[in-house]
Amino acid sequence: MRLFEFEAKELFRELGIPTPVGQTIKCAEEVFSIPAKSFPKTLKTQVLSGGRGKAGGIKFADNQEDAYHKAQAIFKLPIKGELPKTILVEPKVTIKKEIYLAILIDRAYKGPILMASAEGGIEIETSENIQIVPVPGANYSNFYARELAAKVGLQGIQLIKFAAIVDKLWQVWTKFDCDLAEINPLIIDGDDNFIALDGKVTLNEDSIGRHPRFAGQLVNHLSDLGDREFRGKMCGLNIVELEGNIGILCNGAGLTMATMDLVLHKGGKPSNFLDVGGGANKDHVKRALDLVSSSDDVKVLLVNILGGITACDEVAAALAYYKEIRPDAKMVVRLVGNNEDKAKAIMDKAGIPMTNILEKAVEEAVSLAAKA
Amino acid sequence: MAVLINKNTNVIVQGITGTMGGTHARLMKAYGTNIVAGVTPGKGGQDFEGIPVFDTVYETTKHFRVDCSVIFVPPYFALDAALEAIEAGIPLISVITEGLPPQDAVKLHAAAKANGTLVNGPNCPGIITPGECLIGIHPGSIYKPGKIGLISRSGTLTYEIGLGLKQADIGISTAIGIGGDPIIGIDQIKSLELFQNDPETEMIILVGEIGGSAEEEAAEYIKSNVRKPVIGYVAGVTAPPGKRMGHAGAIIAGNKGTAKSKREAFEAANVKVADTPYEIIDLVKQELAILA
Repeated sequence: MRLFEFEAKELFRELGIPTPVGQTIKCAEEVFSIPAKSFPKTLKTQVLSGGRGKAGGIKFADNQEDAYHKAQAIFKLPIKGELPKTILVEPKVTIKKEIYLAILIDRAYKGPILMASAEGGIEIETSENIQIVPVPGANYSNFYARELAAKVGLQGIQLIKFAAIVDKLWQVWTKFDCDLAEINPLIIDGDDNFIALDGKVTLNEDSIGRHPRFAGQLVNHLSDLGDREFRGKMCGLNIVELEGNIGILCNGAGLTMATMDLVLHKGGKPSNFLDVGGGANKDHVKRALDLVSSSDDVKVLLVNILGGITACDEVAAALAYYKEIRPDAKMVVRLVGNNEDKAKAIMDKAGIPMTNILEKAVEEAVSLAAKA
Repeated sequence: MAVLINKNTNVIVQGITGTMGGTHARLMKAYGTNIVAGVTPGKGGQDFEGIPVFDTVYETTKHFRVDCSVIFVPPYFALDAALEAIEAGIPLISVITEGLPPQDAVKLHAAAKANGTLVNGPNCPGIITPGECLIGIHPGSIYKPGKIGLISRSGTLTYEIGLGLKQADIGISTAIGIGGDPIIGIDQIKSLELFQNDPETEMIILVGEIGGSAEEEAAEYIKSNVRKPVIGYVAGVTAPPGKRMGHAGAIIAGNKGTAKSKREAFEAANVKVADTPYEIIDLVKQELAILA
């Protein structure tokens, strides 16, 4: 779960990382409650999508009137389709130096790494000057931070101060089970203070359940998702949207991907990834069918279930129900494994053709989609 | 012979009185696995369908030689359960649990490394040596005993391949479901090493998917260490970047971890790459003909 910048900064301040002293506004009129003497200010759109600066989501304002017009414009400006509900208003700061700093798990090291660059404010994916210090077994100590500081060329009091910030960011990362805790840029101001000018925190979704303070928060942090993906999250279904016209419903992540790849291989286009998971029952499959078919682009539904834990007859019962309420829906079904015979009986009764051969099912789905 | 587990492997089940643990303890036992004991804190002294239940892992080791523990406890308790098994000196642990917090996974693997414990998973279907021993949730009847080693990050896709092989009357020595998380214990390289050293395994199938660089690293390992034929497959050609495709580890970050990059790495290591799951079976048949 990606947090908004203003929320990330709240966590930073809680653990002692300095940030600019800002405030959030929900409408442009609120700028008039900001003391006139405190200007100039920076207005920052609060969205989850990246690239907001380039898209015009960050503006400077010299006075209240200026801020009012700019806030109005920002509230109307979608970033990659996402409109902000909040703007963060902060004082302008003097920047002597910008640094990139992040903590995340690196799969190659099988553990966390500290990452920094002497160029802050950069696109980290494309930067050449990234320094990395792994923290084996997540057994952190301050010397890792000092090593990192030295690697990015910091010296003297700046090295010590930087390492203290890393200590605190480490606390954020561990305390809240983050996938990513990033400060970009971490700035050194005119008085040699380190300040987190921006903050990006992604909480690990598997871990949120052990952090009561984030309970029920997920729904407010999905504004960068498409329609089916948003609804999928809400009902516990893992769907990823693509642009094709063959709706996919499978069990198991690997088999789902392999089925989508097969569709492409046979000249078709998958509309989505959807893994109903292991041991799915009738109601769960019904919800999944509704979700996949809710896009107008979907012309054919391709169901591929290999019953290991999952019982094929549970899936067949959901398909039979679906056929009743949507008699015109085009469905191609492959069921194999656990309770396959029972499933076959249900499918025969419902008049839905079923195969146990994957290749045949995919060819059929591609051919039906081509005709639709 | 096979690798990791065989008919002599003594297995305990942690979380045996839970729904998942109970169901699969029953299935594993029915398959022929030697389930010597179960562990559920607070339920020591009871028995689960004839299997004695203990409060702690340590107690099971006082009564039996324990070779392997299969862990079915919920995600936030799985690290504790695994650390208990590691501390008790059990050499092989299979963590079936899905949704283990990554920071817990880091601690688990650090402890395993320090103690020389082999960890299978987490978020995996377990391991099966057909006809001898099943640990985890593989549907046992899908596999036939034989001489192909199977390594896979996915569950159902492994079953698909096992089933296809069985229909072609081809058996496997051992199938290792290594798990779909970013941080796993027994990985592709370790599995390749085990199969290369196993005299009963003639050929290896390596089923990868998008995300991370494990396939690229496995390809490098194959080049200099594996002398047996390897058939590869990579799922996720159609996966868009930046989206988690079910498995926590199946995500293309930036332009890294794509199916294309993994395929190319396999090909450069002289691994025959299948375009589809059933093409794997065709490639296996071709290689078997060459070996014969």
